[in-house]
Amino acid sequence: MELTIEQIEGVMSLVLDGRRRLDLRNVRFIDPYGLLLLDLVLRDRAEGSAPLNVVWPTHPPVRNWMQAMGLAFDVSATLRPKSRLPNVRTALQPITRIEDERGVIALVNGFDARLAERYPLDESPRRTLIRIMLELFQNIPQHSNATGNVSDAHGIAAMQDYRDGIVLAIADKGVGMRASLSLRGEEKVGSDAEALDAVVLRGLSRFRDPGRGQELMRIFRMVRSWDGTIAIRSGSALLYHDPEHGADVHDVAPFPGVQIALCIPTRVFGIGEVDGAPEDGFNEPDE
Amino acid sequence: MNQMNKETYAIVRFGRRVGTREEGEGARADFLATLERLPPDGQLIVSLDGIEVLSGSFADELIGKSYQLLLSGLYGDRTMLIETPSLELAEGLDDKLTQRNLAMLCLSDGDWSVLGRLAEPHRETLGMIIERGTTTAKELAEALGIPPNACHQRLKRLVDLRLVHQEQIGTTAPKTQYRFQSIL
Repeated sequence: MELTIEQIEGVMSLVLDGRRRLDLRNVRFIDPYGLLLLDLVLRDRAEGSAPLNVVWPTHPPVRNWMQAMGLAFDVSATLRPKSRLPNVRTALQPITRIEDERGVIALVNGFDARLAERYPLDESPRRTLIRIMLELFQNIPQHSNATGNVSDAHGIAAMQDYRDGIVLAIADKGVGMRASLSLRGEEKVGSDAEALDAVVLRGLSRFRDPGRGQELMRIFRMVRSWDGTIAIRSGSALLYHDPEHGADVHDVAPFPGVQIALCIPTRVFGIGEVDGAPEDGFNEPDE
Repeated sequence: MNQMNKETYAIVRFGRRVGTREEGEGARADFLATLERLPPDGQLIVSLDGIEVLSGSFADELIGKSYQLLLSGLYGDRTMLIETPSLELAEGLDDKLTQRNLAMLCLSDGDWSVLGRLAEPHRETLGMIIERGTTTAKELAEALGIPPNACHQRLKRLVDLRLVHQEQIGTTAPKTQYRFQSIL
């Protein structure tokens, strides 16, 4: 069992279907996107009337990584780890809260520094990634509570490196694209899939100001031009693109907010394969 | 243009990596005050020297919106251009100007280019004005091999975008005569 961009939806539909117990014992791999969705869905259930009873993964590298990434801290969960410390070398950028615009630059600098400490990065794609993070991170304070009705949109981000790619995930459980876009007030947004299409493929935002919007569209195109993978989830729709299958919108279990994952090939940054690096990065046995 | 009428505004005062919309909006008052202090025909050179990353959102709030105000006539005949060590650095601004259907002159490594949206015929005309320094619509139409009306249309767009300076040189009936000057 894996909780990845491609497979986390199975867990989401189980949880959002009202299941009270989530058995993750056999999880052998989890990526930042899976981690953030798990974080938000646990939080959502805890804030509601039916907290989820989670059986945590037993595979030590997965447990340790989840701890090192700060899941337990962020959702106040107890992973009940065995007596060993998490392998901090494996976690690139733990779960980080994005609360207001004033803190965005510092957060982006932190993400960039962690990546740059680990690898020498080509400057041009590095700057592009910084621009991408600046736009994605500030979207949370700008848009996740666009209607003013959300008490805590809980914006979070995390990043992890693998042998072949860097995965950056950003997620919130705010109003989502459809509710935000409806504030534009000039055209009816019928479904989450239509909202995704309008925002990501046509570049609309809730503002009529022509200078607003289009950033997600540019990011989508940039990741595509890098032969990367991108997933953008909002409400009951998921726009997923990978180099092999292209882009498509999928129906998913309804969940508040917007959740985004980018998987950027390491070669984009001029990073060669790291000697001795395992195929799945943090998933290697630690012993 | 007199060198005294030009002032350079360094964006790096706000940091090497900028920024968010909120930060761009917050910086705009100082930017516009600098523009206001210039002589009525002055030029603000927006320098990206020392900048590592310029996000589209920051660029739009600070430069894009200020430029829109400039074009609305609020700041007299003042002009504005970008000076950047690399065009890549100005990509975010280029995108935002395109979205706003605006265009700005940009200097990089001794060459000029246009950021934002400007049709190729207009770029051609602009290039000819920059090359000549000063010219008239009649001279341009002849040099470009296009009808005077088409030339006037192009020049109107360039003047509206403050990419060239227009100066009245006489009132020979039935039309007012103008000279067009490069702002570089």
